[in-house]
Amino acid sequence: MAIELPPRQDAPVPLWTSAVIGDDRVSRESSLLAWPMKADIVSIAALVAAVLVSAPALAVFLLALAPHGAESELAGGLMRDGVIGTLLLMLIGGGGAIACGAAAAWLVTLCRFPGRGVFEWLLVAPLAAPSYVLAYAYSSLTWAGGPIAFPITGFWGAAFVYSLGLYPYVYLAARAAFASQSVCALEAARTLGARPGALIWRVALPLARPGIVAGGALALMEIAADYGAAQHFGVTTMSTAIFRAWYGHGAPHAALQISALLLAAALFFLLIERRARGRRSYAGGSSRWRPLPRYQLRSFPALGAALFCGLLVLLGALLPLAWLARLALLRSADDIASLGQPLLNSLLLAGVGAAVTLVLAALIAVAARRGDRIGRAGVLAAGMGYAAPGAVIALGALSLFALARQAHWIGGFGGAVALATLFWTYAARFSAAGAQSIDAGLSRLATGVDASARTLGAGPLRRLIAIDLPIAAPSAAAAALIVFVEILKELPATLILRPFDFDTLAVKAYAYASDERLIQSAAPALAIFLAGLAPILFLSRRLSRARAGAR
Amino acid sequence: MPDPTRRRLALGAAAFALAACTGSGSGRHVNVYSGRHYDSDLRLYAAFKAKTGIEVRTLPANGDQLLERLRVEGDQTEADLIVTADAGNLYRLQESGLLQPVVTPALEAAVPARLHEPHGYWWGFSKRVRVIAYRKGEIDPAEITSMDDLADPSRRGQICARSSSNVYNLSLLAARIERLGAANARAWAAGVKANFARDPQGGDIEQIRAIAAGECKLAITNHYYYLRLATSPDPADKAVAAQVGLIFPDQNGAGVHVNISGAGVSKFAQRKAEAIALLEFLVSDEAQRMLAPLNEEYPIRPDIAPTPALAALGSFKEEDIPLEALGRRQAEAAQIYEAVGWR
Repeated sequence: MAIELPPRQDAPVPLWTSAVIGDDRVSRESSLLAWPMKADIVSIAALVAAVLVSAPALAVFLLALAPHGAESELAGGLMRDGVIGTLLLMLIGGGGAIACGAAAAWLVTLCRFPGRGVFEWLLVAPLAAPSYVLAYAYSSLTWAGGPIAFPITGFWGAAFVYSLGLYPYVYLAARAAFASQSVCALEAARTLGARPGALIWRVALPLARPGIVAGGALALMEIAADYGAAQHFGVTTMSTAIFRAWYGHGAPHAALQISALLLAAALFFLLIERRARGRRSYAGGSSRWRPLPRYQLRSFPALGAALFCGLLVLLGALLPLAWLARLALLRSADDIASLGQPLLNSLLLAGVGAAVTLVLAALIAVAARRGDRIGRAGVLAAGMGYAAPGAVIALGALSLFALARQAHWIGGFGGAVALATLFWTYAARFSAAGAQSIDAGLSRLATGVDASARTLGAGPLRRLIAIDLPIAAPSAAAAALIVFVEILKELPATLILRPFDFDTLAVKAYAYASDERLIQSAAPALAIFLAGLAPILFLSRRLSRARAGAR
Repeated sequence: MPDPTRRRLALGAAAFALAACTGSGSGRHVNVYSGRHYDSDLRLYAAFKAKTGIEVRTLPANGDQLLERLRVEGDQTEADLIVTADAGNLYRLQESGLLQPVVTPALEAAVPARLHEPHGYWWGFSKRVRVIAYRKGEIDPAEITSMDDLADPSRRGQICARSSSNVYNLSLLAARIERLGAANARAWAAGVKANFARDPQGGDIEQIRAIAAGECKLAITNHYYYLRLATSPDPADKAVAAQVGLIFPDQNGAGVHVNISGAGVSKFAQRKAEAIALLEFLVSDEAQRMLAPLNEEYPIRPDIAPTPALAALGSFKEEDIPLEALGRRQAEAAQIYEAVGWR
């Protein structure tokens, strides 16, 4: 149980004060003052976590910088096309995902319309579908001779699939941000005569910005890292360029160079985001929780809202799900029964992987919030891994193992070592999803609480357990969910690092799909979808009910 | 709130699974890294076990990634036999020093000389051919006799193609470079690219579908994708195949482009005898007869009759170049595609 924070009848620090005293300044001072004493247990653990999480990405950098033959010429042209393709997809596909996710989150948390209660938790459903599965499903559903002859192809096809598949990242984070907003800020604004429009643009949206930015960053990095959908739709992105260089040109070194550029770009992007955010504080002014006042939408606006949410769920989940189910039913029951073991393997990898990833992510996020430099560097390092394709991070991890083997620290790459490397790669790849989410949750912690606890004599570990973790718990739960489903969907790292005779659902779906056996890949793809859907909807329901005072 | 009991359960399950994965079973086995991931192969391995008692453990994955993993594992690798779906990958494995030469009377008797590496580094065990698909009623198959015809300016806007990064397209162009030189290959790729009806996307099956849908009239595909549609349980697939025909090009010239699935014994194989036994099994009568019906690939051995579906496609003349050229020329092919803008 959480210990009870000292009751605060009224906001001890008025909203304007906390906005003026940016937590960045406070934490920078504290980190300067406290630097020599930083060697507490949480900081050390965060350091270990940061090193673990960033090592594979750093290995990619080092490998790319290592002198090599005349492959770099080839990397140039590919890189240019890849950069353009990725940026355009981020703009259109990522922009679509952010707009849809934020709008849906705003509608279900701050408005009242028919079906709102159902949509609130159903809107996360597309999270369960890997982008490559959506891409395959839509092309076989919408080709010119298919059931729905509407050309979802090429660049716009990819943008469509990313918008639909990735908006839930933004939706989840933005919904948490909207829902946790202090009622007081909204009421104060309304008392001051703000109209609904102004309320959205000037109060609700700015206050939800950390959530929208965190979710949007995840969506954009997903686009940067995705290979399957871009490849399927024939769009040259950084990711497809990496594999074109690696497989097509047989130039793994050029692939590493493009990967290093992608990692550097991600780092740059995260630094900018951090700078922009670092100057402001989003701590709520009051610890009082009351039901949010919801606008009652009527007639056309209500219909529009229901239609909008319904369309997102229909196109992002129900339609592809139904189509996959139809294809899967064309196969015999034996095929479907043979998915039992892969299902167990998938759940095992996702469960353990999510646990490992989340522990590392939580340590990093908490350390970063306390103004710990290691923690902040760790957040950035974790972000790099998230923007890189899984196969590249796996290559980085593999190369570290090659070093360890040369030094005779380890022998072969047998079952246990392979699995351990796989979990490590998952952590390197997905801890950003965890850290971002937990960080967004912690950003709501009023600036003074940590300092107060310290003044009252609470040590770093106690503050972690008694303050940070309970505060971050809802967002950590959301993060765990995201990482679990991410690993369930993850393909390239699993494909290359798994032990013998160890198939997962994603591996099965890929094996069939890459061989263009869409009908056979439908069953495992459907299973990934359903296996991810169950925990997602469960947690989504809990989250939507969890808000204190909501019921 | 985390529940300690549940956490302990999860940890226990994880430990159990780790133990299950790492524990080695009793009896003889052989470890296969495979770039092929067909269900048909699992049935072949089951037949191999029934015959020899040797269990086959597989790690199917992307061929290029397996190569990187093998490099990292070095002499500590657990892989005994490495199987790929393309001659280019076999060549790269050999170049990277990851295979060892193996020659046995059974292998030499079964595999035609052209379809294995001269020193025995790798051996083919099935063939696929790259052919032209056309829209029935709109294309007179007599007009298209060669891959060259696809580059003819009279075919503007008629051709659908998949990405050039696909290994089948890379091998196709590599073979042309080997036969006719880089300048010819470049002119051909540029000519085909100029005739595209749309940007390259999707796989071979998507190209066949696009023909059926009227988006284009001609495409390049491996033969078995067409047969798969023609024999699909989905009536819609059969309807697609009904509108499309196949042309075996260059029958009066160099012959149709052929690629193989093949395998080689890992240089550091710990179970070399078992690996060779499996390799010999893959080219044996029994396996060759199983392979074709399972995946509609052509048997490597001329003395094995093809399936009815394959027989219906007729016999044909095959391109005659050393298969290692597909690997040797692959990077050059990729650069040519890149240069002419066939993405």
